[in-house]
Amino acid sequence: MTALLEVANVSRSFGSVRALRDASLTVERNSITALVGPNGSGKTTLFNVITGYLPADSGHIRFDGHDVSAAKPAILYRRGLSRTFQQARVFAHLTVAENLVVASGFGWARLFGRRVGRRDRERVAELLDEFRLSHVADLYASELSYGQRKLLEFAAVLMSEPRLVMLDEPTAGVNPTMIETMERHIRQRHAQGITFLIVEHDMNFVMRLCDPVVVLDRGQEIFVGPPSGVRLNPAVLDAYLGA
Amino acid sequence: MTAPRGLGPARAAVFFLVLALLPELDLGHWLLNMLVFTLMFAVMSSAWNLLGGFAGYPSLGHVAFFGIGAYAVVLWFQHHAIHSGYEPFLILPLVGVGTAIVGLPIAAIAMRTRADVFAIVTITLVFVAQTLAFNLRGVTGGAQGASIAAAPFPSATFERPFYDVLLVLLAVAMGLTWAGMRSKVGLSLAAVRADEDKAAGVGVRVQAVKLLAFCVSVGLTAMVGGIWAYYQGFIYPQFAVDPLISVAIVLMTFLGGRATLWGPVIGAFILEMAQQYLAYSLGGSQFYLIAYALVFLVVMLLMPRGILPTIEDRLRRRRRRRLVDDSAPASPLTPDYVKGDSR
Repeated sequence: MTALLEVANVSRSFGSVRALRDASLTVERNSITALVGPNGSGKTTLFNVITGYLPADSGHIRFDGHDVSAAKPAILYRRGLSRTFQQARVFAHLTVAENLVVASGFGWARLFGRRVGRRDRERVAELLDEFRLSHVADLYASELSYGQRKLLEFAAVLMSEPRLVMLDEPTAGVNPTMIETMERHIRQRHAQGITFLIVEHDMNFVMRLCDPVVVLDRGQEIFVGPPSGVRLNPAVLDAYLGA
Repeated sequence: MTAPRGLGPARAAVFFLVLALLPELDLGHWLLNMLVFTLMFAVMSSAWNLLGGFAGYPSLGHVAFFGIGAYAVVLWFQHHAIHSGYEPFLILPLVGVGTAIVGLPIAAIAMRTRADVFAIVTITLVFVAQTLAFNLRGVTGGAQGASIAAAPFPSATFERPFYDVLLVLLAVAMGLTWAGMRSKVGLSLAAVRADEDKAAGVGVRVQAVKLLAFCVSVGLTAMVGGIWAYYQGFIYPQFAVDPLISVAIVLMTFLGGRATLWGPVIGAFILEMAQQYLAYSLGGSQFYLIAYALVFLVVMLLMPRGILPTIEDRLRRRRRRRLVDDSAPASPLTPDYVKGDSR
């Protein structure tokens, strides 16, 4: 069986800055793959290119065996590839429940249906219960703490029943308890068959959760392997410490 | 943007009943004329609100579509005899749908831009429409203007049919807004307004709901243009495509509160009535515009988000404070006069 996501020789420049240089990446089905690297190594750019937010200058991206190199974010989302952002992006003036409904990827037939229908309410209640956000269901997302917003964003992308979830720094700016909560949810969803690709700076989190680990430096992958191999790899040490 | 709650339908029923009965009070012509113009602006502000309020695309070019509607009605009846006074009203749905279709490719191009750039792009529509109205003399009559046969209504109740049709159109505009707010179209538009890229990234049909909002909005605006042309009987390019109309409907919507059901209507009733009243009081000079601007400035300084959102915010905060007060257990050390209720 082919990998769920294959990124081959993708390049992307911003003016004279080459953010990605023939970067390649493979995400196997039902894995939790980490994408790490020093600041400015091109992780978020690669995320943006994979999810269609930025066009690549060259290279190919295949998702579930289909070429999606030029696909728009909405198309990818409906095909089962969803993502979160480094800074939690929720719809501040929608309620928590509405944030989930709007991310459910409803089709044309439901566009003229009720804003939050009976079926929506059932699904939303289930998910909010799982994420322990039921008590804030009717609050505006702007009224949540930053950690709760991160959880909400994560819960929202699960509404579309994705096959690959890409999390951009899920633990950034949240307290240790919330990190544990986030980790628990990732493990639970992974056990249900969802594949994860995670950009993360918290190496303890990566070591506990992810395998394999892909290290990116100056827009290129420099290491792919198990977490145990990362710490000892000279190229990785060089990238992080400049040794 | 949130879905309308609570007393919506009852409030609307009372509002429309009062407006429907108002002309029965034997109001003077000047007052009915003022109400006709107020209803025109209420419909146009509600229509603009679909695009500028709910979708977050602040068009400054709506008057171009008002002009299209006005010329459409005038030109149609230059080639077809009016058999009954109500006939021009019957073609209004056709004018609305036709203008919406004309607006579709325009929206597809203009809505590739956002926010202030979109506003500037739509301003160019006004100048294009006005230039065409001035220069296509064979069709529009150019600067000489174009006329439609005078409405054959009795002079004692001349304004009444226009008033009634505008009232129906306001009900349609508010009904569409209400239905939109309660549907996933409204939810999608709220997401687009908050963060369009993110909305696209979670599968919202961004392009479809944007185009829908634009077309419905300009279609309703064109219908008002058609009524205005028939009411006036004679139209000139500088009045049919007057940029100040666009500015007025934007101001009215901001004043009442964007992305609310009642905000644009409240804004139109305050500003249009103030403008008409001040114009009557201060005579033919342009001084009334200063007073008009003052009304707007005072309200916006006191309520920067518009009248309705500010009031709703205050009520919401008060409700929350009351909930917190009610749920806080009284300390055993709290004196009795503090524990007692405040009825």
